[in-house]
Amino acid sequence: MNKLAIITAFLGGLHNRYMVYQDNVPLAEKMARAARIEGVEGLELCYPADFDDPAELKRLLQQHNFGVSGVNFRSRRSGKWWRGSFVSEQASERQEVVNDLKRAMDFAAEFGTDRVTTCPLNEGADTPFEMDYIRGYDYALETFSAACAHNRDVRLCIEYKKNDPMARCLVGTAGETAAFCMLTGADNLGATFDIGHALIAEERPAQSAVLLHKANRLFYVHLNDNDGRWDWDMLPGAYHLWEFVETFYTLRKLGYDDDWYAYDIFSKELDTVENLTAGMRLTRKLEAITDRIDCDTMEALMTERNSSRTIPYLYSLL
Amino acid sequence: MQLNFTANTGFFGAQRNRFVQFQPDRTLEEVFALVAQIDGMTGIELKYPAAFADVRLVQQLLQEHNLTLSAINVDTKDARHFRHGALSARSAASRQEAVTRLREAMDLAAELGTTIVTTCPLADGYDYPFQVDHATAWGHFIESVRAAAAHRSDIQLCLEYQPHEPHSHILLNNVGKLLYVCAEVGLPNVGANFDIGHSFAAQENPAEAAALLARANRLFYIHTNDNTGDGGDWDMISGAVHFWHWLELLYTLDQAGYTGWLGGDIAPKHIPGPVDAYQSNIRMIQRMYQLLMRIGMDKITEMIRQDGNPAAAFETLSASLLPEWDVQPG
Repeated sequence: MNKLAIITAFLGGLHNRYMVYQDNVPLAEKMARAARIEGVEGLELCYPADFDDPAELKRLLQQHNFGVSGVNFRSRRSGKWWRGSFVSEQASERQEVVNDLKRAMDFAAEFGTDRVTTCPLNEGADTPFEMDYIRGYDYALETFSAACAHNRDVRLCIEYKKNDPMARCLVGTAGETAAFCMLTGADNLGATFDIGHALIAEERPAQSAVLLHKANRLFYVHLNDNDGRWDWDMLPGAYHLWEFVETFYTLRKLGYDDDWYAYDIFSKELDTVENLTAGMRLTRKLEAITDRIDCDTMEALMTERNSSRTIPYLYSLL
Repeated sequence: MQLNFTANTGFFGAQRNRFVQFQPDRTLEEVFALVAQIDGMTGIELKYPAAFADVRLVQQLLQEHNLTLSAINVDTKDARHFRHGALSARSAASRQEAVTRLREAMDLAAELGTTIVTTCPLADGYDYPFQVDHATAWGHFIESVRAAAAHRSDIQLCLEYQPHEPHSHILLNNVGKLLYVCAEVGLPNVGANFDIGHSFAAQENPAEAAALLARANRLFYIHTNDNTGDGGDWDMISGAVHFWHWLELLYTLDQAGYTGWLGGDIAPKHIPGPVDAYQSNIRMIQRMYQLLMRIGMDKITEMIRQDGNPAAAFETLSASLLPEWDVQPG
């Protein structure tokens, strides 16, 4: 069974373009909040924000007995790397990003995880003719390849996302991610498969998981749901109940069953602890529904490909 | 049609999205100075209550920069009061606060010589099934709008619909619901602040939405911008994506006899600053309008009153681009 982690960024200040719901809090308070969330076993740490005092970070993790599911390298920073980090037109900025990413990889190894995840949100464009896509992909290949070469034992995970804050990101879908990773030829470059991001890219998450797995790039999974239009970071199953069950069933078949799930759940106006507790309970409930699927029956149904029998079977499990 | 440009000043100060912060914070004096630099900009739209801490200063700045106050834009999404809704909130105190803000802004508008008060009711929405009692929420929404609009009939209360953000569902999320609210409230001074980007994000064709609003006498005010049509309200320069749709919109506004403001609502994210963004937006609208004039409004009218016209229409429309380039068939 996969363990459950929370990304520390979702435990502190919460705001969007319109509303400030909650001001930021120190790391110790974020950890204390996480400790009140029923079912949490670890954290995905954010770099650089959580690493001001690595010794204190280690102490807090030990105090709460938290594991580390991965290190999240923030490639979008207020006040720098404004026009793309991995794909900046400035060679010096690209070098700075690679150097910083290497530090994050070193921290990952030091903190006992082999995973660094990053969501390249500033790598893209709003309008036609805003960027040269040819150079953009070349720059991205250069920077990610350089980081991967730093330590082949650390897996670098690209969390693909279609948009926001750019109207279109350069790595926006499972297919683009798989293709991009394969172009680098680096075995330690893969995907953070965020189910919400797959949904807004109009993907069928279970299908995307399989494609990424076949490309040997299914490295990590983030859980959240949305309405299929935008990355609202909602509770799993609130919109896509059967898609979640299908994804969990598929992930088990693919062997992603003794690893971590990390949550991108944006609590907004709701109480963070209560909302994330609900997220974890819903995950376990969706897994319990998945448990009820008789594998032989389901495999036979999928061979038959007859939804008039499959869907009633699924509802018979509830 | 006379093009009257005004600037929604929401984008002139510090900006923030979920991920990053950008652009410096600016004082009201600095914002006015920037708006005044923009060629063709004659109006300014200010936020209430933030910009009105000192009303005399506002008056002085309007005079100093020779700008007209086009509208007062009321903030009904302040999380301190409206965490769980404003006009539709279950909490009577939240609803009262929202209505009071609108009424205060209406009085202020009259004092400062504008007839437009606008609000984008983005706190009035929800994310999940079973999160709100829809019937009650809509009842509150209608009552709150009526309570505000009834305060005085000489001010037009504009509602700005938007399909989503910060909630996955905003109650007032398309032109149809806006018109429904107007009909339910039953007061002639309730209408639309018609944001073109919101219309695209709601998967509408703004020209059609504009025609509906104008027909119902509810087209009071306009915010101009564009986006990719993926549902995101990217606040891009008008015409950057939906060029032909924008032409159709301008033609429709011309035919509807729209004489109101064209407000800029452009995010200066990767554009050097708000002056560049808003200046470019004005130029784009002016050029698109000139292109329409080149084609000829009467010719377009004749064209769209024929069934089965798309091939001929695009021949006419595209002939307006590179007019010196002449295609010789065969």
